[in-house]
Amino acid sequence: MKQNIWTRPLYYVIAFVVASISLYPIFLMIMSSFKPSNEIFMNPLSLPKSFSLEPYRNLLEQVPFMTYFYNSVVVSVTAVLLILICGSLAAFYIARYTFWWNNALFFFFLMGMMIPIKLGIVPLFILMKDLGLTNSLWSLIFIYTATGIPLSILILTGFFRTMPIELEEAARIDGATDLRILWNVLLPLMRPALGTVMIINFIQAWNDFFFPLIFISNEMKKTIPVGMLSLFGEYSADWGALFAGLTLSSLPMMILFFIASKQFMEGLTAGAIK
Amino acid sequence: MGKITKGWMIGFLAFILILTGCSSDAGSEEGGDSSNEGSGDTVTLQVGSWRTEDTAKYEKLFEAFNEKHPDIKLEFKPSKNTEYNTILNTELKSGEGPDILQLRPYAAGAELADAGYLEPIDDLNGLDTFPESSLMAAQGSDGTQYGVPLNMSTTQMFYNKKIFDELGLEEPQTYEEFIEINETLKKEGYTPLAMGTKEGWLMSLMHGIVGPSQYGANEFVEKIENGETNFVSDEFKASIEAMDELKAYFPDNYEGLGMEDIRTLFFTEKAAMFPLGSWEIEVLKEMNPDLQLDFFMMPSADGKEPTITTWVDGSYAINANSEHKEEAKKFLEWMTTEEFGQMFTEEFSMVSAVPGVQSDNQLVSDLAKAAEQNSTPYLILVHFAKGNPSTKATLETELQGMYLGEQTTEGVAEAVQKSAESYYEPFQK
Amino acid sequence: MNTAESQVKAVNKPAAKTKTKRKWKRWAIHLFPIPALAIYGLFIVYPILAAFTYSLFDWDGLVRGAFIGLENFQALFSLEPYKELFWNAFQHNIVYFTGQLIAQNGLAFILAFIIYKKIKGAEFFKIAFFMPRLLSIIVVGFLWKLILNPNFGALNVILGKFGLESLQKAWLGDPDTALTAIILVNSWFGLGFAVLIFLAGMQSIPHELIEAATLDGAKGWKMMSKIIIPLMMPAITIITVLTFIQSFEAFELVYAMQGSQGEPYHSTDTLAIYFYRLAFGGSSGGGSSAIGLGSALAVVLFLFISVFTAILLYFMRKKEVEM
Repeated sequence: MKQNIWTRPLYYVIAFVVASISLYPIFLMIMSSFKPSNEIFMNPLSLPKSFSLEPYRNLLEQVPFMTYFYNSVVVSVTAVLLILICGSLAAFYIARYTFWWNNALFFFFLMGMMIPIKLGIVPLFILMKDLGLTNSLWSLIFIYTATGIPLSILILTGFFRTMPIELEEAARIDGATDLRILWNVLLPLMRPALGTVMIINFIQAWNDFFFPLIFISNEMKKTIPVGMLSLFGEYSADWGALFAGLTLSSLPMMILFFIASKQFMEGLTAGAIK
Repeated sequence: MGKITKGWMIGFLAFILILTGCSSDAGSEEGGDSSNEGSGDTVTLQVGSWRTEDTAKYEKLFEAFNEKHPDIKLEFKPSKNTEYNTILNTELKSGEGPDILQLRPYAAGAELADAGYLEPIDDLNGLDTFPESSLMAAQGSDGTQYGVPLNMSTTQMFYNKKIFDELGLEEPQTYEEFIEINETLKKEGYTPLAMGTKEGWLMSLMHGIVGPSQYGANEFVEKIENGETNFVSDEFKASIEAMDELKAYFPDNYEGLGMEDIRTLFFTEKAAMFPLGSWEIEVLKEMNPDLQLDFFMMPSADGKEPTITTWVDGSYAINANSEHKEEAKKFLEWMTTEEFGQMFTEEFSMVSAVPGVQSDNQLVSDLAKAAEQNSTPYLILVHFAKGNPSTKATLETELQGMYLGEQTTEGVAEAVQKSAESYYEPFQK
Repeated sequence: MNTAESQVKAVNKPAAKTKTKRKWKRWAIHLFPIPALAIYGLFIVYPILAAFTYSLFDWDGLVRGAFIGLENFQALFSLEPYKELFWNAFQHNIVYFTGQLIAQNGLAFILAFIIYKKIKGAEFFKIAFFMPRLLSIIVVGFLWKLILNPNFGALNVILGKFGLESLQKAWLGDPDTALTAIILVNSWFGLGFAVLIFLAGMQSIPHELIEAATLDGAKGWKMMSKIIIPLMMPAITIITVLTFIQSFEAFELVYAMQGSQGEPYHSTDTLAIYFYRLAFGGSSGGGSSAIGLGSALAVVLFLFISVFTAILLYFMRKKEVEM
């Protein structure tokens, strides 16, 4: 394949420019976390005058960050796992079989994305209360699973469709059950898609603050974002501590994303599909 | 490859089981604690509020309360102010919510009261300390009392004393002098007014300061209350025109500036005047402890007394579904005492709703004095925070349109009048 | 059961062991969607359906009033100011969708292709593009408000350094630029996700096909339009449908940056923001809630999105099959 000699350098220029724009605000966030509140407003763009750890100290004094952190981990990890299980089972069913109701089922799931769920907050709150789940992390786990399912089914169904059907035929001849085919044959090939679903739902659960605001009033059950919100006052906020908190709360996700992109998203090598 | 993924998954699963196991243990312990009974006769009341920044201050107040009532424990449970109404309404509709709750003033509070979510407290001891103008902030639409007023907010022109002294400026006694001061400041290279129009509420708040000086303060308010005049009257239109004229003294790019921006302009001493609410005293002090802060009352354009604009910003009410109404009433009763008012003013640097309380903060004390002598109500909030969109929100949006050149001053007045007509009884006569 | 059995496509009849066991296996497949249906049905469908009924009631403030049939829907489209606000917001949603398609998805496709071409540091770039997605919307809103601040924000400072003072603007305060700015920030936020989906689509194209096409002399644009794009139609479908839904549900970023009134002067108002204002009354002093009207708006929004998503899916599916 002959290529114009300018093509590759152009690729690098585009990638580099976009990457800088992508990263700059994050750089700004981390930098701001080392500044005291008033310096953020006076010199918002400059490097911190001196790297002060005080915002971090303030943060840890003001809020039980480790408790929030623990709750966030429990909620996000459990919700993501439930989403992966429920989502891949349902998507497999929708993509691999052609029962007459399958399109309707697919669409039924998609509808979940088309409605502002905030509308149903009062019935939802009463439901959670009746189930005894208010002030329990399970209320968050269930609602994140439920809100994550539509997107996951959309993505996974699409990718199940791209899998060559020949793959499973051999397995079926050997008498493998659907579950076995799904687990042993298809899922390992779908790592990029699974990784994406995992990451995207993890982020959603990790960053959401609306549901915990409503369902959780017990300080010991709060997740990071809602804990951070207590740093926003009506007219003022301790922006230093806030940025420190946001930086700290983004870190685990950045780490997770590195791992996930190594584990799941390296892409399929030529030998993977045979 | 497949094996790696599976190993990963299984590890993941085990991890979760451990975590959720732990957390449910912790949950059951916690659950017992946060419900009402602790031990013996002690009762724990939850106090809901939108003032997340006040947690430590409330704890001090509660401690003082416990010296008198050791058997009533109070827990402060604030939530973010912008979501507070949504959270509280959801909880109240489901028969839940804190025992004692901070009530938004006027129409918003009356809405909760009219829905039957609040406990009437007409017979509460000590209510008579408050003037009727304060009490009305926490009443149902039938006049029943539901809340005890906590604090008076005022809105006025703050100014930087150092800049004024440097340029030999004095507090204005007439509206013309106020305009002259703006001109001088502008000539000397200062931004006269730290003001931005990106956030709507800044404009209604500034109108709360400038408006009364144009429409003739309390006289006009009375006429509005009696339905003798309305918002398309010349007086009100004059107040909108004044708002428009003052844009000459706003900072560059004012249409893109929000609260944090204009506050920064003011505490970094680039701007000389700052039309905002009394709560800023505390914030400004924290941002720049050296700032020489003072305020003046807005001089009248037609020779009347200068005024300061006041309203009750919050009250505390009792949830009708609370299991401990009697205990909650004891707290509300304490809120009517001078002891509480004193402590509140000192801790919060705000004007207490309890009359006659002195503050050791000179500025707060001066504000309180001014508020008692020359106050005018924050008209648009006190009577017109109703409707959807509310008349207050309409004023904000239309003023924003005016500053962007997309709405005329006439148009603003007409839109405000139209919005108010749909529910305001004096206008329907 | 019989129809179900006969419709199982492309599944070879497994070597029959016993009839009951086979029957069980056939039944078992119907258990697959059950967990998802259960959780989704209970926590999403049920509360939403319950809330839909609100739209049929006169419900201003907190207490539900009388049953009024479709009057709320009528009010939404015939009364001032509801009518104007609706169409104003609706237009913004359309602009939002178009803008996202170009700024986010167009760029994402190019970037995914660049990474697919195995440039050095591909791993780094992939992570860099995705990083913004890790942030909470509150942070995104605050950071970009700093950057777009007219007086000390990075954008105007940079423009000033290049001598382009005339281009400096109050980006978020000027009705001409505010919506565009929000759309671009949203694209910045969602870019990495679109790149990942496109990339996953490209990478699941079997290499044999590419190699075969190369041997047949396909290259450049031809390779792209005849092989790569058709084979990644599922990924394109996913992204387009998602962009459509998200654009018409656009709420959080606008709320974080321009408040519940879609400031300035409703120039960034969207249907979801408008819904929020109606149903919850906006922030303090914004107004009393009008749940009946708000629910009616949500129903209209839902119907619109679902009909168009269905149409979109139908046509894009057709393309997928045609490949």
